[in-house]
Amino acid sequence: MLEVSPINLSRWARLKSPWILHFNSGACNACDIEVVSLLTPRYDVERFGVLLKGTPRHADVLVATGPVTRQAALRLKRIYELMPEPKFVIAVGTCASSGAPFKKCYNVLGGIDKVIPVDVYVPGCPPKPEAILYGFTKLLDKIKEETE
Amino acid sequence: MKVTTPEEEVIATMKAAVGDYILESKIPRPRRVYIRIKSNANKRAVSALLKAFPHAIISTITGVDIGEDIEINYHFWCGKAEVTIRTEVPKSNPEIETITDILPGAALYEREVHDLLGVKFTNHPNLTRLILPESWPKESYPLRKDWNPKHVGDLNGSLEETLIVGGIETERNGGPLVNVVVGPQHPALHEPERFLFKLDGEIVVDVEPRLGYAHRGIEKAAEQLMFFQDVHLVERVCGICNVAHTTCFCQAAEALGHIEVPPRALYLRTIVHELNRIHSHLLLLGIAGLEIGFESLFQYIWRDREIVLDLTEKLTGNRVMAEYSTIGGVRKDLTPALGNEIKRGLLKVKDRLNFYREVFQSDPTIELRTKDVGILSKEKALKLCVVGPVARGSGVKSDVRKHDPYAAYEDAPFQEILYKDGDSWARLMVRLDEVNESIDIILWAIDNIPGGPYRTRVPRRMPEGEALSRVEAPRGELVHYVRGNGTAYPERVKIRSPTLANIISFREMIRGCYVADIPAVLVSLDPCFSCTDRMVFVDEKSGRRWVWSMKDLRDRRRIGK
Repeated sequence: MLEVSPINLSRWARLKSPWILHFNSGACNACDIEVVSLLTPRYDVERFGVLLKGTPRHADVLVATGPVTRQAALRLKRIYELMPEPKFVIAVGTCASSGAPFKKCYNVLGGIDKVIPVDVYVPGCPPKPEAILYGFTKLLDKIKEETE
Repeated sequence: MKVTTPEEEVIATMKAAVGDYILESKIPRPRRVYIRIKSNANKRAVSALLKAFPHAIISTITGVDIGEDIEINYHFWCGKAEVTIRTEVPKSNPEIETITDILPGAALYEREVHDLLGVKFTNHPNLTRLILPESWPKESYPLRKDWNPKHVGDLNGSLEETLIVGGIETERNGGPLVNVVVGPQHPALHEPERFLFKLDGEIVVDVEPRLGYAHRGIEKAAEQLMFFQDVHLVERVCGICNVAHTTCFCQAAEALGHIEVPPRALYLRTIVHELNRIHSHLLLLGIAGLEIGFESLFQYIWRDREIVLDLTEKLTGNRVMAEYSTIGGVRKDLTPALGNEIKRGLLKVKDRLNFYREVFQSDPTIELRTKDVGILSKEKALKLCVVGPVARGSGVKSDVRKHDPYAAYEDAPFQEILYKDGDSWARLMVRLDEVNESIDIILWAIDNIPGGPYRTRVPRRMPEGEALSRVEAPRGELVHYVRGNGTAYPERVKIRSPTLANIISFREMIRGCYVADIPAVLVSLDPCFSCTDRMVFVDEKSGRRWVWSMKDLRDRRRIGK
C-alpha cells in the first residue's frame, strides 16, 4: 500500500512517464547521438514512457553528457534549477561521470556531479544505447525504492 | 624544356612577386610548400599569393611558441598545393599586421591566435575574446609554453554570461526589431550553442552566434600526451567524424616520422572512413527530417543507419568511436567473411537510398521547407571560403579526396557531387548522393584490397619537424598541423575543423528567411560544434555594440519593456 503523500505520489507517477531533457555540457557528440539513437525504432525507449522534451519545465530526468566546460557550467545549473521536483539526473558517458579524458584540460570542470547531484552514472565512451537503457531501468528502480 | 612540378611553380610565382622578402622555401613532400618570410612582409606575401591564385582559400593560421619568438603560420590551399607562409614576431612585443582587410575569412583565425597566444594583429576590426570565457584573466595565454594553469584560478563562480547585441538598426518598416536568443539549450539544437537572432516580425534580419560552450582545450592537452596517446585524444574531438580526425592526425604523424604505411592499411582506412561518412550523412539527413517536421523520415533513416553502425562495430570493435587508425596502420584486419558481410549490408542501404532519393525529390513537405530556402550563391561560397558539402551544394569544387588524395583515394573510382542550386535542398542532396558514392568506394576497396600486413611498428619518439595533413571529413576539409621536437611528445597540434569554416556562411543564408526556417537551414550546414569549439565565433559587426548581462535581461523582462 502506498503512503499517499504528494511527493510520493508524483514519484510514483514518474515511474511510468519519466520525461527527459537532454543537455550537452561540452561533449564530443558521441554520447549525444547515442542518446538520440534511443528514440529510434531499434531501441525505442518510449516503451518505458520516456519522451524527449524541449524545455526543463516539462522534464523529470536530465540526461546530461560532457565533461562540463567552464562556459556551460552555469547554464547546466540553471537548467537543473528550472526543472520541477522531484527531479533526477543521469550522467551519460565517461566524461560526464568523471571528466576523463579531458579531466586535466584547462577549460573543463570534470564531471556533471561537480555542478549538480547525479542519480545514475552510465560509463562508456560512448556507452552503447543498451547501456543507457540499463541506466534508465536503474533509475526507475531507484525511484521505486524511494516510493515504497 | 625544363619540367617543373606544381609546387616549384608556386615557389617561382612567389619569388617573382615578393622575392626580396623570402628568406627560405622548401617542398618537404608532394603538395606541401613552406615559405619563410620577413616579419613585416606577411601582408605583401599573402596578397601576392591571392593575386596569383584567386581561388586560394585560407585553411587556418597556426601560432607556435618557439621560445623567444612566436611563429605565425598562414596555411592556404591554392588549388595545387597547401602553401604555408610563416614569419616570427618577438614574444615581448607580439605585433603583426592583420590580413583581414585583404582576406575576410582570416578574421576568426587571427582572433583565435590572439586569444590563445596573445599575438596582437594591428588594424584588425574587432580583436576581442574569441574562444575563452569572458572572465578569463587578461595576459593569460594557455598555448604559450610558460603558461601555468594555476594562473586561471577558480573561474567557476565569476563566470558572467553576457549577450552581445550589435548593429545600429533597431527599427524597420515602422516597427521595432526584436532580439530573440536561441540556445544553448533548445529543442532545435542538439549541441550547446547560443544564437542571437534579430527579427523583423517573422523575418530574420541578422544573427550573431556565440559558440564556445564545448571548448575543452584539446590542443593544449595534446602537447602533454605522447603521440600514440594523442591518437585517442583527437578521436574525441568529435564523436561523429572521429575517423576523420584520427586518420588526419595519424597521417600527419606518419609524415613527420617518415613512416611508410602498408598499402593494405590505406585501403582499410578508406573503408572505415567511408563507413563513417555514410553514418554521418544518414544521421544528418534524419535530423533534417526531424527539424522540418517529418519525423517518420527521421525514424526510417536512423533505422537504416543502424546497419552501418553494426558493420562499423564488427570491423573496428566500436559502434561510434571507431578507434581504428593508429600511427603506422590500423588496429584490426578485415577477414574475407566480414568483407562479404559489409558488402551485403551496404547493398541493403543502397537499395534504401533509392527510396530516400525519391522522397527528397518528390515530397511536398521537403520541397516547401528546403527548396529556395537559405541560399548561398557560388560567388559568396568562394568568398567565404566554405568547405565540404556546403561548398559543393553551391557548385564549388572542394573535395579533398579528389584534389589532394590520401589513403586509397588516388585509385578509387568516384564522382565529386556538385549541385548548383545553393539552397538547403541542394546541400542535403549532395550528402544523399555522397552516401551512394561512399558505398561504391567501399565495395571497390573490398574487392581490390591488397594483401600484406596492416600495420607497422613505429618508434614512440618522433623526429624534429612538421607536417600538415588534410582529409575530407563528412563536413568538409579537416586540417591537422603537427610539429615534433625529437621527443615522444608533440610540440604543437593544431586542429581546424570544417564547421568553423562553414559557420560564417550561416549569416549569409539565414538573412531574409522566416523564423521557422532557422532549424532547417542550420541543419543543412551540418554544424558540429564540438569540433568547432576549440574556438569561438562572434560575427563581425560594424556600428554600436552594447552588452546586456543575464540580470539586465531578467529585470527587463519583469518590467515588461
